[in-house]
Amino acid sequence: MMNSFDFDFAAGLLPQLISALPATLGMTALATLLALTLGMLLAVVQVTRIRGLNQLADIYISFFRGTPLLVQLFLLYYGLPQVFPELTTVTAFQAVILGLGLHFAAYMAEIIRAAIISVDRSQMEAALSVGMSYGTAMRRIVLPQASRIALPGLMNTFIDLLKSTSLAFTLGVAEVMSRAQQEAASSFNFLESYLVLALVYWALVVVMTWVQKLTEKRLGEAY
Amino acid sequence: MLRRMSRVALSVVLAGALAACSQQESSSATAQTENAPAAQEGVKVGMSGSYYPFTFVEQGELQGFEVDIWNELGKRLDRPVEFVTAPFSGLFGMLESQRVDTISNQITVTEARLEKYNFATPYVYDGAQITVNNQTMDIHSLEDLKGKTVAVNLGTNFENLIRAFDSEGQITVKTYDTGIEHEVALGRVDAFIMDRLSAAELVKKSGLPLKPAGQPFEVITNAMPFLKTEDADALRIEVDAALQAMREDGTLANISQKWFGTDVTRN
Repeated sequence: MMNSFDFDFAAGLLPQLISALPATLGMTALATLLALTLGMLLAVVQVTRIRGLNQLADIYISFFRGTPLLVQLFLLYYGLPQVFPELTTVTAFQAVILGLGLHFAAYMAEIIRAAIISVDRSQMEAALSVGMSYGTAMRRIVLPQASRIALPGLMNTFIDLLKSTSLAFTLGVAEVMSRAQQEAASSFNFLESYLVLALVYWALVVVMTWVQKLTEKRLGEAY
Repeated sequence: MLRRMSRVALSVVLAGALAACSQQESSSATAQTENAPAAQEGVKVGMSGSYYPFTFVEQGELQGFEVDIWNELGKRLDRPVEFVTAPFSGLFGMLESQRVDTISNQITVTEARLEKYNFATPYVYDGAQITVNNQTMDIHSLEDLKGKTVAVNLGTNFENLIRAFDSEGQITVKTYDTGIEHEVALGRVDAFIMDRLSAAELVKKSGLPLKPAGQPFEVITNAMPFLKTEDADALRIEVDAALQAMREDGTLANISQKWFGTDVTRN
């Protein structure tokens, strides 16, 4: 039963997977946008200790880091509509974006918060002493320095997010994972299917890493 | 200064929300039409897409017995049919949350399911079949499975059948979303239980060293479940009538012949 590697099948599968890439990349891009926005907001709330919001941010981060992503997706897609019937109009694609965005925002918030507090306090003090407002100082002085520090950590999370879109099939989204799994089930070429799939993900991450290097270089120009 | 910060924060959120809205608009336009029942409205059919030969994907194309049935039903109901594929274990969740109108995946009619759902008229009569590795000589019935490990697909009725029989918990049940035939071929589990038809086709198609063990041990009746709501009832009655017509003019038997070489749609 141990057949040799079926190269024809693997070569034929590649275009199939590539045709499903828009779904994977679309979910990744939109969820990253959501996670980054929300993460930044949470981090700022925590650093500035806005009363009330700070505690809410704590609970938010605790919950979304403290429960598995798959559980959150199932809750969102299958669980909540039982109580709120309006939510049935949320498509699986949207639910995944929302789920990934909410989940990874919690991780990004911590990375961004760490980056902000790692910028030496004297930077803020110096900015305030020349008459900048706190907000301007944060935006013009602290955040640019923090972004350079946050980038490698954030990139880890982006990569994790990209790979986590493979959970979307459990909600019925037709993305690369689902294509590979279904082709594997009908052809019995498990090794070929999952190997090609792994290479597709790897290629995507290699491209992302390359973008990271370029961005790091740009952010590091001042140093 | 805090005010200015929050203004910046607010604009960031608004920008994000706007981006999300424009994204949603296109898809919610289609989503809204699903709610109001009207003629010509599409039917969303959930299936696993990995249950050969009922529903499977080959070369990117979803096909199988269930797909043929629904393509025909779509024509007769004059409604576009949209197939939604998801792992079997997620299908009932989709039905429950109204992401699909029904499930076409050889759903066995059971007491528990009847409590929650209305079924259309049964369209396939089948049996539960134990399948083992070619080299297994000591398994011929459910009784022989005591002390062994059995694979079933997650969320299927076969798991319940085993549990009902095995009141003392002597059979170890392992659940999967796909690939149970390989687990038996690789020797990781002793047997798998599936419906007789799929098991036979699977053994034939895969060429794996598998064989049926004993006779099918339970008559199973398969039908499509619908929610117990007014809209779903209306659709179910339409589907029933069309299925009946397909049975009478031989279309159902023909589709069965195509995939199984025999008519599995009659009791």
